[in-house]
Amino acid sequence: MTQTTSFDAFTMWKNVYEKTESTWRDAIQDTLGKESFAESLGQIQSQYLQYQGFVNKMTESYLKQANMPSRDEIANVASLVINVESKVDDLEDQMDVYKIDTSREIEQLRKGLNNLDKKLDKVIELLNKSIVAQNTPKVTDGPLTTTALNATSTKK
Amino acid sequence: MVTLDTKQFDNWIDRLSEDKNIQQIKRLTEVISSDAEPEVGQTPKEVIWTKNKSKLYRYQPAIKKTNKVPILMIYALINKPYILDLYPGNSLIEHLTNKGHDVYLLDWGTPGYEDRNMKLDDYIVDYIPRAVSKVLKTSKAKDITLLGYCMGGTMTAIFTALYPQLPIRNLILMTSPIDFKDAGHYSNWLDKRYFQLDKLVDTLGNIPFELIDFGNKLLNPISNVVGPYISLADRVENEDFVLNWKLMQKWLNDGIPFPGESYRQWIRDFYQDNKLINDQLTVRGRKVELANIKANLLNISATRDNIALPQQIAPLNDKVSSKNKTLHIVETGHVSVVTGRKAINEIHPYIEKWITDNSK
Repeated sequence: MTQTTSFDAFTMWKNVYEKTESTWRDAIQDTLGKESFAESLGQIQSQYLQYQGFVNKMTESYLKQANMPSRDEIANVASLVINVESKVDDLEDQMDVYKIDTSREIEQLRKGLNNLDKKLDKVIELLNKSIVAQNTPKVTDGPLTTTALNATSTKK
Repeated sequence: MVTLDTKQFDNWIDRLSEDKNIQQIKRLTEVISSDAEPEVGQTPKEVIWTKNKSKLYRYQPAIKKTNKVPILMIYALINKPYILDLYPGNSLIEHLTNKGHDVYLLDWGTPGYEDRNMKLDDYIVDYIPRAVSKVLKTSKAKDITLLGYCMGGTMTAIFTALYPQLPIRNLILMTSPIDFKDAGHYSNWLDKRYFQLDKLVDTLGNIPFELIDFGNKLLNPISNVVGPYISLADRVENEDFVLNWKLMQKWLNDGIPFPGESYRQWIRDFYQDNKLINDQLTVRGRKVELANIKANLLNISATRDNIALPQQIAPLNDKVSSKNKTLHIVETGHVSVVTGRKAINEIHPYIEKWITDNSK
């Protein structure tokens, strides 16, 4: 009995990858963990930064000669806008605090007025009672009662 | 006269187009070169505050909020905001909002050259407190839950330690490095003797994403560079897999520059001097003491994470004063803690339940 297997490129790639990865994993991790690797990275970084610094200087010099704004100058303008926006934000925050304070004060004032109103109502009520009491003849037992009654009838 | 019989050649060509390998190659080429990128960050949101390039979003404002404690999410400075809202059905934000949580996210925006002087201090003292205040004001809540991812979590922990008087009820950190004593290969590569930090920042201003990405890929070069394409070739006929692959690639390759001064501080104070865990870090002149953290803490660590190693995450739980603190370890990687099947089925529901339990 014969068995035919078709060629599958993807399975082959996967197998190659898995075998390579498992074979090299430890060796690569060992290398990455070595101090000498960090030193090499540092050297590459240094060269790259030297090149980049040179490009930055050249670009800046060219822009200056061409009377064009440099990246720094444009960034300064952006910073000014950000500062203004920051101040607006601060003002908004202060307005919020002010709003809270104002509404708290108004609320306290309203309560105070309500209390005053109630007190005034009481005072008026007491005054009314006192006036009524003054104008109303005193009704008591005994001879005074008769006198009072006579006085009332005389007035009529 | 010579006649050429091309019938056999035509047949071979016809058979070739039906060949499984050829079809796979065709699809693989399409996915890598011509397919549209998936649309990310689709959960509806509104902007409630802006500052410089930053925006504060509130998600799904139309959905009724059944949980009274709002959640503010803070992510790493080199990512884009959609990483926590990757795709419908594969989004932590969507999951939480659908469960009735009031979710906010502080989008850092893309820094320009004018932002190269922004320090971590500026983000922690000028941006996060304002965002917290806006969230509390918008939600009319008394407490807040903070959720930080990766470096965003480290910044959130620092903020929580600096402002113990704020009503921070819960603190959730996802793969956020705190102790940099052993940061794996980074500890070696960022060695002060070889890594020219000052020269790098002074020359470049902001640090390009490609440089950060190069370092991340170098941690495991073969599996990070070749591995994804082997997986794609193997399962290119599975459309669900292809979608997830594209999402993962978009996340990994779609970063933003690191503001120069923040990078200088991040590398020097954290990777080189390990100040945070040792209570030596100062932010705008104020000492950061992690023991000031009293909020309920959920600290999530991923075992296969080679960017924020488990040993960098766990020590926080020993430093904080929180009575309720959990170290949750998941068998996954740095990105798949937020996105992918395991995140959808296990991690998102776990976080949602923890927040609900601790928000009553």
